[in-house]
Amino acid sequence: MNTFSKYRLQRQIGMVLTYAGIAVALIFFLFPFVWILTTSLKGNEDYFTFPPVWIPTEPSLAHYYRLFTHGNGWLYFKNSLAISSLSMLAALLFSVPTAYSIARFRFGGSLFSNFLLLLRTMPAIALVIPIYVLYSKLGITNNYFGLILLYTVFYIPFAVWLMIGFIRDVPQEIEEAALIDGCSRLQALLRVVLPIIVPGLAVVALFAFITTWNEFLFAVILTGAETKTMMVLVASYTTGSPTDTFYGEASASVVLGIVPAFFVAFALQRYLVKGLALGAVKG
Amino acid sequence: MLKKKLSSRREAYFFASPALFLIVAFVIFPLIYSFYLTFQNYDLAIGPPSEFVGLENYEEMLDDRRFWRSWLNTFIIIFPSITLQLLLGLGIALLLNRIPRGKAFITSLLIIPAMVSPASAAMVWRMLFGVKYGGINNALMQVGLMDVYFDWFANPVRAILAIVMVEMWHNTSFMMIVLLAGLQSIPPDLYEAGEVDGASTWQKFWYITLPLLKFTMIVALLIRMIDLTKIFGLIYLLTFGGPAGSTQTVAFSTYLTGFQDFRISYASALSYVIVVGVFILTLIFQKVSRFREGEEA
Repeated sequence: MNTFSKYRLQRQIGMVLTYAGIAVALIFFLFPFVWILTTSLKGNEDYFTFPPVWIPTEPSLAHYYRLFTHGNGWLYFKNSLAISSLSMLAALLFSVPTAYSIARFRFGGSLFSNFLLLLRTMPAIALVIPIYVLYSKLGITNNYFGLILLYTVFYIPFAVWLMIGFIRDVPQEIEEAALIDGCSRLQALLRVVLPIIVPGLAVVALFAFITTWNEFLFAVILTGAETKTMMVLVASYTTGSPTDTFYGEASASVVLGIVPAFFVAFALQRYLVKGLALGAVKG
Repeated sequence: MLKKKLSSRREAYFFASPALFLIVAFVIFPLIYSFYLTFQNYDLAIGPPSEFVGLENYEEMLDDRRFWRSWLNTFIIIFPSITLQLLLGLGIALLLNRIPRGKAFITSLLIIPAMVSPASAAMVWRMLFGVKYGGINNALMQVGLMDVYFDWFANPVRAILAIVMVEMWHNTSFMMIVLLAGLQSIPPDLYEAGEVDGASTWQKFWYITLPLLKFTMIVALLIRMIDLTKIFGLIYLLTFGGPAGSTQTVAFSTYLTGFQDFRISYASALSYVIVVGVFILTLIFQKVSRFREGEEA
């Protein structure tokens, strides 16, 4: 009895410590988000007071408004949305048939899948130098199309990799039945396989979207005044004097830049291990 | 039979060719072109024409202190970062593995930092570290731990520490989520067997958890090493390589060479060294994950 209650006490203390540890981790990982959000909602007068204001006295969206009306915030936000969405669609369009070819015909064998792995880990800096030179010669730096194409290609290895698994999960018999009924391979892919792998497509699409949204190196080199993305806007606040409006707009731009990440973290819960391990997200 | 095989082969190419075409046009061709550039003296600041200079760019690298420093800086950032990420990530994964409810929700909350871009993560912390009005200085002043506004990036050691800390905040949850998946795949009966044999919590951790988690840890560490070799956005926004070049990593100093000094050829040569470094890490990664698959099967 005595050892039993001692054991129970130990267990309870253990659980309390466990929850305490998790609470500390949550604070460490989430406090910066809370801080940047409250900073973006503060009025200018709150920045320069001591003791510091942690919770804005009169929260307002003034900095967001200013960012959208005075600065180019709205344009760059739209750019990021457009570039990310179009690259996402294009990446799906090109990687579904490739993944199908690998899953069903073992296209290229293990050599090709190793090749895809190498492409996936390819340092972006090595690619951006020749791309910059070539794009300059073609006159397509500062051009949406050039950037979208590049993102599409850079994302294909990852998308194919992830998609192969989804396609392999589709029972081959269903397709064979369609083929016997007179479908071509392409029709079988479009009418039979595609509808089944829609959830998989959504996963790949969301990863593609957030990866492109987050990308910085290509964006900072290949965009100009009109084609900048949100990440380049965020980076632009590293120079300049930290005045009050500067502080407000900088934090507002960061908040807008991280909103998609929140959605994706919850939407993709089940696929995060696989996706992150395969190198999604990181730009 | 043969006819069928041939047609399926044609179909395989048919389905794969659009993506292959793009990869050749936008990855393979540019890489070959930049390899060609490494033997030229293409310099945008001077302008064309460029000419063939043989191995001059590679020879220059041998005596280039900035080049060697950049690799040293990268290693100095990589090792403490991955060590801290592994320890903290393992710690949190072990805690999460103990709780009965809410695991998925808490994991989603903890993973958010890993989903934001390096640029955003760096900017949040740049503002938190801000000399005046930064959250950290403000908090320390308020509780009286500090009486002057402190410049966290003023000297090389502190700048590197700041980068390691931000990197830890940014990517520990990647380690955590991978290790948590690893922990959950350990069969519970192993622990039950251990308990029957009278193993303590510590012994169970040391003799069951760690050995079974070993490969997961190595794979996760290699992924982080590959990513950190390419670290760029975090540096760009947090320190821009300063103070005095002490946080110029390989990718960042290549960027400066190419897009600030406009020495395209030399930057291409520098970037090829990064390609080789990442290539080696990728090969190791591949060997290890193959081996793991073989062992699990």
